[in-house]
Amino acid sequence: MTKLLQWLLGVSLLVAVWALVTWDLLDLSLPDTYRDVAWPMPLYLLVSFGCYSLATVGYRVATFNDCEDAALELQQQIKEAKDDLKRKGLKM
Amino acid sequence: MGATGVDQAVGTSLVVFSLVLFTYYTVWVIVLPFVDSDHLLHNYFLPREYSVILPGVAAVILLLCIGGFAAVILWKNSKTKKVI
Repeated sequence: MTKLLQWLLGVSLLVAVWALVTWDLLDLSLPDTYRDVAWPMPLYLLVSFGCYSLATVGYRVATFNDCEDAALELQQQIKEAKDDLKRKGLKM
Repeated sequence: MGATGVDQAVGTSLVVFSLVLFTYYTVWVIVLPFVDSDHLLHNYFLPREYSVILPGVAAVILLLCIGGFAAVILWKNSKTKKVI
């Protein structure tokens, strides 16, 4: 069984359980509060994933180390390359 | 050397914002249904319909911004190149 099939089976199972609870397909008559929590689940998971992504990006931005020396060296190399190309006739 | 000034501020504010948003949304969607309807906590939260409408509106706005940004970039590109 391929990974795709495994994932699709897992997702379909979760979707089936969610649909069962949300629309009471087996007439289990669960308490109202459980249904109230279940039906926004897909949207809730999406929002949580968005928050997690945002937090990860923010964390990595805050903890990324500046490399002063490498920046200066890079700017120097850019200047050298520009001068070199100008001499060889490239218009900038 | 750690990340400097503005970078750190922006990064930290992103983390704090997403944590606040996650906590508020979790309480709104998962905790509130189990809380009695006359508890004071309900005063801090909008009616539950908005917990679906607001993310929907935010998604639409996000898509509009991305589309608008792409349109501006494409417009600028088509102006600089001469079209024969």
